[in-house]
Amino acid sequence: MGASLQEVKRRITSTKKTQQITGAMQMVSTAKLSQIQHQATSYQVYADKIRSVITHLAQSHLLDGNPAATTKTTSDDAHKQEISGLDMLVKRPLKHFGVLVITSDRGLVGSYNSNVIKQTLDLIASGHHTPEDTVIIAVGGTGADFFKKRGFNVAFEYRGVADIPQFRGSRALVRKIVSMYSDGVYDELYVCYNHFVNMLTSEFRSEPLLPISSANLGHDDLASKDSIGLQAEYDMEPSSDAILEVVLPQYAESLIYGAILDAKTSEHASSSTAMKSATDNAKDLISSLQLQFNRARQSAITTEITEITGAQAALE
Amino acid sequence: MTDQKMLTVNVVTPDGSVYEKQTPFVIFKTTLGELGVLPDHIPFLASLAIDEVRVKQSKTDDKFDEIAVGGGFVEFSNNLATVVANSAERKENIDAARAARARKRAEERLEKAKQAHDTDQVKRAEVSLRRAINRLNIAGH
Repeated sequence: MGASLQEVKRRITSTKKTQQITGAMQMVSTAKLSQIQHQATSYQVYADKIRSVITHLAQSHLLDGNPAATTKTTSDDAHKQEISGLDMLVKRPLKHFGVLVITSDRGLVGSYNSNVIKQTLDLIASGHHTPEDTVIIAVGGTGADFFKKRGFNVAFEYRGVADIPQFRGSRALVRKIVSMYSDGVYDELYVCYNHFVNMLTSEFRSEPLLPISSANLGHDDLASKDSIGLQAEYDMEPSSDAILEVVLPQYAESLIYGAILDAKTSEHASSSTAMKSATDNAKDLISSLQLQFNRARQSAITTEITEITGAQAALE
Repeated sequence: MTDQKMLTVNVVTPDGSVYEKQTPFVIFKTTLGELGVLPDHIPFLASLAIDEVRVKQSKTDDKFDEIAVGGGFVEFSNNLATVVANSAERKENIDAARAARARKRAEERLEKAKQAHDTDQVKRAEVSLRRAINRLNIAGH
């Protein structure tokens, strides 16, 4: 009985220590969550603005009409931007299906990663894409490792996204992803990530990102235009094509950054929830161990007393 | 003159709104050249050069606030000018040492890309170089 008493005591101390760690991790995640939510609100202002402008421009520009042939030549000309903008409107024959998968770098985030990975696989399967014609862009180590192991073509992986990603810091990454599209690494790009709903829930989202078409400018087309109050008549300086050329890459970049920000928010929320349940579990475990410990101690005392009284009785 | 109209300038970047002010007069540097805007201008959209936006501080004096913008565009309607840029910094907030380092890096990259005859990289390096020089110019005013 004595050895078991020792053992239970040891388990209690070890569980207590674990609880302390998970509790601290929970607090850290919660703090990061509130910080990133602040960042997300300021980003939202920017995203809304750029989206309303592009929706407006797109209407006059016949986004998925026939401009392919004409715009292609102009963008190859002298005034080619750092990333040629109008290329993003051109639908190309689908040879390589690009998927941008955003996962976390570390574990201890509950079902966050498995959720994204599983549903991304479903998305690939539902489009009848094979590992050969799918190009994976992995942000976050977990996704990168998984898809590499499965024999997918991981064209680019990025680890170490900041906890509170700033646009300035993520610009290189975002640029890279957009430029891979212009270089023809993939002809269509979907982004797969967990969208933050609230502390306890996040839902998987997969959205077409490139090429930009009226489809991915969003369902809230009309609603957002009204609410922001863009007017129908604008003076274009120099021309609507030239402005589109500036706005489109900026839009694509902002979408990718927005997805990363959203995914990171949901990662912090999952991590916080997972750590909270771990802490609660530790608490339950400790209390049941404590009970076990008390019982064992009590029975040890009882045995001792019986032995003493027994010995006393034998002496008399 | 007291009831003179004002317009609002708002500079937004992905990291939030950088600058917001009521002003009687603002000068944008667009890709085609300078564009001065007074209140009640007709709505317009313009792409901005990697340069500065100058906002007059008040009606009475001739001081201007200077904001470095790294491209982007400006949308103006209902006396609200919204500058949407990937990066923007007020003159006071520019870190000159950082900008100088960025310029050095961009120059090195440009040199390397030129030697490799990588036109795409050359263009990118040129853009970063322009951004860095722009920041330095404005900081040094």
